[in-house]
Amino acid sequence: MGTTAHPQAVAQDPPESSAARPSRSLEICCAATALAATGALVLLAKGIEVRRETDGIDPRWWPELLGMIGLALAAAYLVVAVVRPPFPRTDLEAATRRGWPLLVATVSLTAAFVALWPLVGFAVAAPVFLSAMTYLVGGRGWRTLLIYPAVVTALVYLPFHTLLKVPL
Amino acid sequence: MNAIVEGLDALLDPTAALCLLAGLLVGTLVGALPGITGTMAVALASGFTLTLDPVSGLAVLLAIYVGANFGDRIPSILVNTPGTPASIATTFDGYPLAKQGKAGLALVISTLATTGGILVSMVVFVLAAQPIARFALEFGPAEMFSLVVFGLTVMVSVSSRSLLKGLLAGVAGLAIATIGRDPITGDKRFVFGIDDLNSGLPFIAVIIGLFGVAELFDQLLTYRPGNAKPISSLGRWWPKRTEYKQLARPFAVSSAIGTVVGALPAAGGDIAGLVGWDRAKRMSRKPEKFGEGSLEGLTAADTASGATLGGSLTTTMALGIPGDSVMAVMLGSMVIWGLQPGPSLFADSPDLIVTIAAIMIIATLLSLVVGLVRMRGMVRLLDLPPHYLWTGVLLFCTIGTYATTNSTYTVWVMLASGVVGLIMKRTGFPAGPVVLGLLLGPLAEANLRRALIIDGPSILVTQPVSAALLALAAIGLVTPLLARARKTRRTRSANAMDEPGRVRS
Repeated sequence: MGTTAHPQAVAQDPPESSAARPSRSLEICCAATALAATGALVLLAKGIEVRRETDGIDPRWWPELLGMIGLALAAAYLVVAVVRPPFPRTDLEAATRRGWPLLVATVSLTAAFVALWPLVGFAVAAPVFLSAMTYLVGGRGWRTLLIYPAVVTALVYLPFHTLLKVPL
Repeated sequence: MNAIVEGLDALLDPTAALCLLAGLLVGTLVGALPGITGTMAVALASGFTLTLDPVSGLAVLLAIYVGANFGDRIPSILVNTPGTPASIATTFDGYPLAKQGKAGLALVISTLATTGGILVSMVVFVLAAQPIARFALEFGPAEMFSLVVFGLTVMVSVSSRSLLKGLLAGVAGLAIATIGRDPITGDKRFVFGIDDLNSGLPFIAVIIGLFGVAELFDQLLTYRPGNAKPISSLGRWWPKRTEYKQLARPFAVSSAIGTVVGALPAAGGDIAGLVGWDRAKRMSRKPEKFGEGSLEGLTAADTASGATLGGSLTTTMALGIPGDSVMAVMLGSMVIWGLQPGPSLFADSPDLIVTIAAIMIIATLLSLVVGLVRMRGMVRLLDLPPHYLWTGVLLFCTIGTYATTNSTYTVWVMLASGVVGLIMKRTGFPAGPVVLGLLLGPLAEANLRRALIIDGPSILVTQPVSAALLALAAIGLVTPLLARARKTRRTRSANAMDEPGRVRS
């Protein structure tokens, strides 16, 4: 199945890697989200309906406690995000120019595959998904786009559906 | 004696033996492919193994764990790219050795060091796990809650640069674990009328999403076609007698370091490898050779990294607290099989502990044979185009998740977890504490509530073990903060020394 990656895909980004840059606005955004999420947790926890009110350590107590702790941590994080330099991100590679569209397309394709699967069956949905995904990430040539998806689908379908009785 | 016989007998089952071999093959392959970590592979495989009996399932998962720890050394040495994070320190001396035409020698020494490290740590598991478990069997609700807190704080302190982000991730995991039925009263919480949520979020799907799919998405986001080619000239394979003697000391020290680091919750081969390499450099008569192709450096890194396996297994099986991220995933699978790792496992299923030790030792010895006999063929794997890797991994993640419940609902949970995991990765929130919180949340909540209802809050600090664990947890959180403050002070004073004019003004 030896075809190489699409040449345009190879040419678009420089080969050398670069670390992601620290970002204060990203940190503030994360802290604000954490604040909102933990606040929502507190409110939702207060709204839990219990079958027998005990006014003490009931099913609401633990999630509410977690929400309060989270709220305090998120508030501290927000302060840190505003007053201190942003955290370094040297352990992360920077996203490439084609990375975001590729990622969105991958998530969308996978979602479409999962939605189609119950409607048309795994044996139909999987090769179509694999072929589209392989094309998307740079695979070219009839063997890569037709034979590879068919072989992988068969390799998954036969043992799982036939032997392990997983209803694919 | 019966437990030993029964434990070993379970492995004579052809299915278990086949599963062990399959796991080993998969583990070695995924280890050799940069981008697929051991955690990702075990997470992925856990979806497929749930239909197997526990022994066969454990054979697959543990063999992947061992195999990945051998396979990942190959790209580290030949292309300077760690196959998994556990082999980061292997690149320091492995790649320089390969560039000097000693790739074969580096591969053999790496295999021997990894084997030795794992076997030494397994001796510790065999000797120490049961006494630790017997001690932990006496734990009441207060101690169990404090143990979970301790495990979580250690994971938070080692897995994130930011303590606040790590803690928030831990709280998020604990909060997600509250979805479903209350562990004591059975009341519904956060189910929003969705029946599937009654039993909580399916944690295998969350784990595969956070570790497997998120990693794949990150690779798509950051992919730059590289031009690194594997080293093709492998040179001589076997070390000389003088070289063996020279390696004895770093091997001994790194075995101890790796086992101790592995026993710490959440600290894995990556940290152990770096610590072992650094320690060996300080002790060496030729520290200047470290990083330039030192056999001592390579031995130290790989021994320490390998030795984490037994240490990690000891903590996981004896206390029920995962020793590293692979063990966190394995813990999830064991819970689904109806096994609860922890002190009671030693009392309820002592034969299973023997089986686990036997699987680890057999897998290690088989890996040694595979490593020494057919290392050359593995090199070809490094040429596999990424489009096959990515599409294959994504499909297997999907099928593995689906197979856990035979419902596409779990696949949706996996996909959503993958997106959340990517956002967390890109924003510096570690996934480890989320998974640990999710797995141990019900245990923490039920035990804390029981302790408070029965004895009141004072029990947490009046029981010596509970108080000690909480104190250790506090120390675990404060130490990184103090270390960072010290480092900042040092940097400031160094800057002041460099620029005296600025100090005076």
